[in-house]
Amino acid sequence: MDEKTTILVTGVGNYWGAQVAARLLNSPDLARNDGQPALENAHVIGLDAKPPGIEIKGLDFIQADVRNPLLSEVLISEQVDFVCHLAYSDREKSSETAFDINVMSTMKLLGACAEAGIRKVVLRSSTAVYGARPGNPAFLTETHLLHGKESQGETRNLAEIETFCSGYHRQVPEIGLTILRFASIIGPTADTNMTRYLKQPYVPVLLGFNPLMQVIHERDVVDALVYALVNEVPGVFNVAAEGSPPLTKLIALAGKSTLPVLHWFAYWGNSLSNRQHALQSAWPIEPDYLRYTWVADLTRMREEMRFIPQYTAEEALREFASQQRLGKYMSEETAKALDEERLRDILERRRRMREQRVVSSDESNEGIVP
Amino acid sequence: MSIDENPVDEVISESGGEPEAIASTVAGESGLGDHEPSRAELIEELNRLVERIQAYSPDYEPPSYSPKRLLDVFGENVHNLAPGLIDKIRSGLSSDLFDPDTWKGLWFMLNYTLEYQADFFKRRYSGEYEVDEWGYDPEFMGLFKPFFEFMYTKYWRVQTSGIENIAAEGRTLLVSNHSGQLPFDGAMIGMAVMQEHETQRLVRSLYAPWFPTLPFVSTFLTKMGQTIANEENGIRLLEQEQLVAVFPEGIKGVGKLYKDRYKLARFGRGGFVRMALKTQSPIVPVSVVGAEEIYISLYNAKAIARLIGFPFFPITITWPWFGLLGVVPLPTKWYIDFGEPIPTDGYPPDSYSNFNLVSQITDQVRNTVQNAIDQRLAERKSVFAG
Repeated sequence: MDEKTTILVTGVGNYWGAQVAARLLNSPDLARNDGQPALENAHVIGLDAKPPGIEIKGLDFIQADVRNPLLSEVLISEQVDFVCHLAYSDREKSSETAFDINVMSTMKLLGACAEAGIRKVVLRSSTAVYGARPGNPAFLTETHLLHGKESQGETRNLAEIETFCSGYHRQVPEIGLTILRFASIIGPTADTNMTRYLKQPYVPVLLGFNPLMQVIHERDVVDALVYALVNEVPGVFNVAAEGSPPLTKLIALAGKSTLPVLHWFAYWGNSLSNRQHALQSAWPIEPDYLRYTWVADLTRMREEMRFIPQYTAEEALREFASQQRLGKYMSEETAKALDEERLRDILERRRRMREQRVVSSDESNEGIVP
Repeated sequence: MSIDENPVDEVISESGGEPEAIASTVAGESGLGDHEPSRAELIEELNRLVERIQAYSPDYEPPSYSPKRLLDVFGENVHNLAPGLIDKIRSGLSSDLFDPDTWKGLWFMLNYTLEYQADFFKRRYSGEYEVDEWGYDPEFMGLFKPFFEFMYTKYWRVQTSGIENIAAEGRTLLVSNHSGQLPFDGAMIGMAVMQEHETQRLVRSLYAPWFPTLPFVSTFLTKMGQTIANEENGIRLLEQEQLVAVFPEGIKGVGKLYKDRYKLARFGRGGFVRMALKTQSPIVPVSVVGAEEIYISLYNAKAIARLIGFPFFPITITWPWFGLLGVVPLPTKWYIDFGEPIPTDGYPPDSYSNFNLVSQITDQVRNTVQNAIDQRLAERKSVFAG
């Protein structure tokens, strides 16, 4: 690794792509867990059909779709070493389009990676791919069958991608393929199924069902993806925060009240909502996933991947609740303005800018200190 | 009671006062004031008459028409039937009831209880309670334990033997027969260990994957520290040095008909033996007698079961004819016998994949449980009295 490592991040136009690219570029210390020299000054190429919503300093942005047949040429000519595939859309109304955007694009990208001889590919998945079933063991290990194909929407697509990936890994074993299966993602800025579910005024639950749930903070998701890029951790890993509270406790910690619904009505309502999108928002999480336990085993994450999320489940939920409560009294912009993390980032950015200004002013006119 | 002393005087004065009072109220209400003196005179005269009669014959008593007199007669009878009862009540009432401290204490107690309950609900509502990684909720268990204690000690009068076969700590696998349409036997094995065992261990029963599909039942079982029956869960629990109970007969055992009682069904596919061999845990055979008669299941209505997604639908002599009342189990006498532990640490560590050995141990455990049941049945004289 004499020259700069080049990392291609797909989907920088959406939240996760932008966050990972920004973290790769802005974090001064991307230390490795095995004492090897850290990944410094990586060249980060962002690829998406639309430019990122936030300004990411130092990002080499290429405006192109992942499904573009010339993708392998981009990978070869830019001498890309690692690929982090985050182009994913969960906002598609038609399942055909969603399948094309999510599953087909992943297949095409992985094909291009094999052609270009990429060393490492990191993918984001979900623990929902195991499926929520009454016979599930209390802790689902990474080797468990993927029953998520039987569910709908995002989960089904992710399970399709994962099935493809296991075959792909057998065919092209030289590519280090890391798949991170995240639990329900929660956080003040991310827009996920779980945050949409918890942002409802009354959170619907199934009457008489109270499965154990796992969550992970949005920061830890970005950290884990970056960690997988920086370190050599090929394989499939469940990633979730410490602790699996029952659903009612989760909702209580998130500061909301439950609205129990008889499960027959929930299934009925959910089947309706696929046809009429006005109802979609009521059940961002499928009723099966609110009925049966689908807690993932975290032994491999701790022992093989050696990654420990910073937030526990309770911390993540409490933070989400306080953010929601603040949002009640002020606009989302004001709440964000008060957010400490955000302020710290802003300070960091301003300090960097000032340093640059000092350097440039030193060259021209010595003795002036701002 | 002052029935014996001076009965005549008292009676007279009372009987004299009573009509007077009535007369005055009548007079006051109807406004017939001119009747009052004449009636008082009449009473006076009557009283004097009674006195004169008594002077001649001391045995004479006026008829018992006043309420005071009736009370006295009643008191006299109570005194004759249960001597000292009235005195006891009277002394109990007088000493504490008029003491303000009693009421203060009562108020404090009530207030504290209310505050405690309110705090409990507030805490549960805001999510400030802990469950372990399996979902076991000790506070929830505390709420339901009294009910199961009542069922254990009073209703089914469970008699337990061989509790010392369960080690004070460390991994142990209990293997029991299963019956009774509803999994009460699992709860009673849990109660037996909690009541009789020196370290009061929590029994982690593994239940059939059908139960989590039922509302409330799934939540209830999870909060009581039980989990779904599969090998992954069993092995993980045993590796955590827990006390695990399995019912290898499964649904076939629970849905047993009355005519098949105490005939063990097939013992699964030997999954429990693989669990024990892989973790080298001793197997303690458990036989439950009495549970198979709590419902008299005559027929398994498979068509209804299929319609509502149940694995079986029992028709008992009370269910579904009496609605929810039909769910009340019969108060049979129960025996829970914990047998000698069967060690599994003598086998090589990879022997869990040895099918011959697994089926051999499965049969051994099954026979041990069946023999223990047969022995207990031979000793038992009556289903309800034991």
